[in-house]
Amino acid sequence: MSQMVLVLRNLERVRASQSRHLQRKRKVAVAASPWKCKVRSLSAQESGNPSVDPMANHRFSSVSEEEKPCCGISRKAQICLCVLFILLIVVGIAVPVGILMWRQPPKHKEWKGPGTTAHFYEILLGRCYTYTQVVRPEQRHTDCQKIGKAFTSAFLSKDPCGSTEQDYRPLMELTTQIVPCDKTVFWSKSSELAHDYTRVQRDMYTLEDTLLGYMADGLKWCGDTSSSEMNYQSCPHWREDCSNNSVSVFWNTVSKRFAEDACGVVHVVLNGSISNTFDEKSTFGRVEVFNLHPEKVHTLKAWVMHNIESVPSDSCSSSSVNNLKQILKTRNIIFICQNNYRPVRLLQCVKNPEHSSCKYNL
Amino acid sequence: MAALGLASSLPLLLLLVIAGAGGARWRGEGTTRHLQSIILGRCAEHVALLNPEQGEKNCTAIWEAFKVVLDKDPCSVFPSDYDLFISLSRHSIPTDKSLFWENNHLLVTSYAENARRFVPLCSVLYGRMGDFLSWCRQENASELDYQSCPTSEDCENNPVDSFWKRASMQYSRDSSGVIYVMLNGSEPTGAYPVKGFFADFEIPYFQKDKITRIEIWVMHEIGRPKVESCGEGSVKILEERLKQMGFQYSCINDHLPVKLLKCVDHSTHPDCALKSAAASIQREVPPLWSEYGGSLITPFLVALASAIQM
Repeated sequence: MSQMVLVLRNLERVRASQSRHLQRKRKVAVAASPWKCKVRSLSAQESGNPSVDPMANHRFSSVSEEEKPCCGISRKAQICLCVLFILLIVVGIAVPVGILMWRQPPKHKEWKGPGTTAHFYEILLGRCYTYTQVVRPEQRHTDCQKIGKAFTSAFLSKDPCGSTEQDYRPLMELTTQIVPCDKTVFWSKSSELAHDYTRVQRDMYTLEDTLLGYMADGLKWCGDTSSSEMNYQSCPHWREDCSNNSVSVFWNTVSKRFAEDACGVVHVVLNGSISNTFDEKSTFGRVEVFNLHPEKVHTLKAWVMHNIESVPSDSCSSSSVNNLKQILKTRNIIFICQNNYRPVRLLQCVKNPEHSSCKYNL
Repeated sequence: MAALGLASSLPLLLLLVIAGAGGARWRGEGTTRHLQSIILGRCAEHVALLNPEQGEKNCTAIWEAFKVVLDKDPCSVFPSDYDLFISLSRHSIPTDKSLFWENNHLLVTSYAENARRFVPLCSVLYGRMGDFLSWCRQENASELDYQSCPTSEDCENNPVDSFWKRASMQYSRDSSGVIYVMLNGSEPTGAYPVKGFFADFEIPYFQKDKITRIEIWVMHEIGRPKVESCGEGSVKILEERLKQMGFQYSCINDHLPVKLLKCVDHSTHPDCALKSAAASIQREVPPLWSEYGGSLITPFLVALASAIQM
């Protein structure tokens, strides 16, 4: 309320000063409106009526009251001032906005999947060193710096939806790791169980127990053509954006080589509690099965595991597993199938020790 | 005279030559190569991937705090030298998830399942950073010693032992609820080392007001002799000590879930035979009745029926 009163008072003051100002100006105008008076008086003189100027007073009064210019400035000047004022406003807005936009890093494209993992490069390098110095010290002479650089150069400054195997070629050439024969373990829809198994059976390897798999497991990464930085905001989603994204192409590439390098008896942990136990669209079904070399791999053993609570069934004779059997038959690889392979079953029992199928013989 | 002097000092010279050329200064493993990258990477991984709810930790600052000990004489590093490192990296431990142990590092790592089931010291940030690593400065130079590092037999105040002492103290202080302890009952020197990290740097720092009870598991190696079990030998000493301190405790021999885990790579051993082998259908093994004849069908069917009933 008091503020309003203040404002009103201010307005009154302004109006008062303005009117005073106007009065002063009027007086000035009356006293000396330079060119009008002169012109008129001149014209009066020209018209040859120097003494009598009947319009003079009248004109004076009309000029000062009706036609009075704002604040004593002429029309042209007014327009100039207005234009200048508008220009100032425009510049005043445009310059800071321009600076802000220029300062901001070029915007990455927006995708539907989660962005690059925070501290991606530190994690990548740290894992490489942990793997080569601690986990498999026989590889301690590996150059992790070179590998880290080759990894990032595969996707930085590139279209994250246009990734190809070629992009990862330099990385693949730096990392050659041959898994011993009979020790390869594939998995499909059974990640936790398969990795629990190789954590205990340290001489068996899943892809994530090899150097590249160990480094990249669980991480996300992508770049952008318009920037040399990683995109931490979002990365392409396999289904909703594109399937040829940096991460998917990486896993296809390393899975292919993992299968190509396998020899002897290979194993696969499958999930018998889902309908498509053997999924032709999975990495195992799409990539790994078809890149086994029959001259090196003579047998594939499938361990079909069921959830411990479910009733035991024979998933080995299910149609989806039969599908796998047929594919391997055409490739000349022997197929052996076991329901609930004992050592892996024991792992499931660790989580459900009270279950009836986990009780010991006394 | 000169010849005699030379002759007497020759064996000493030889010893020095041998020591310099072949033998390492200390008994322990040398500094792990690329220590900084490993530690920073592990810190980043813990913070970004595994425990984002624990809030932002400044891994660079944590490394800077750690690296102070790398400038010190390798026999003059004390647990208190890690105080800043610990204060920057410590975080709360979920209640009922602490798992203490002696003489079964790998088993504990497998069983803890990367902190999903339990959070042992090597799954806590500061423990994770040092797990399986070794570090020390050279005795008479400022560089790191990659050849060897002192163990407790060389000198007590060495960088690695002091690290684990300090880390153990903190882990113990931050533990709450039910405390679990896994001991190795097949260890010839005894399941509970009377002088060890658990005895000297963990038990004394248990917070009585935060702990409800203590559960001890004495595990035995499959197919190896049972040196000690609950209530025997050093386990008895531990039980008495806990009783004296006023803790409620219990002891279990071969805690079942852990035993099942041990059986994974001994699945054919009789100690690992599961009751319901009949319940799993194996494509390759022919059914029992075709091997042993019809006389066994009836008892088999009865056994199967009772197994299904269970």
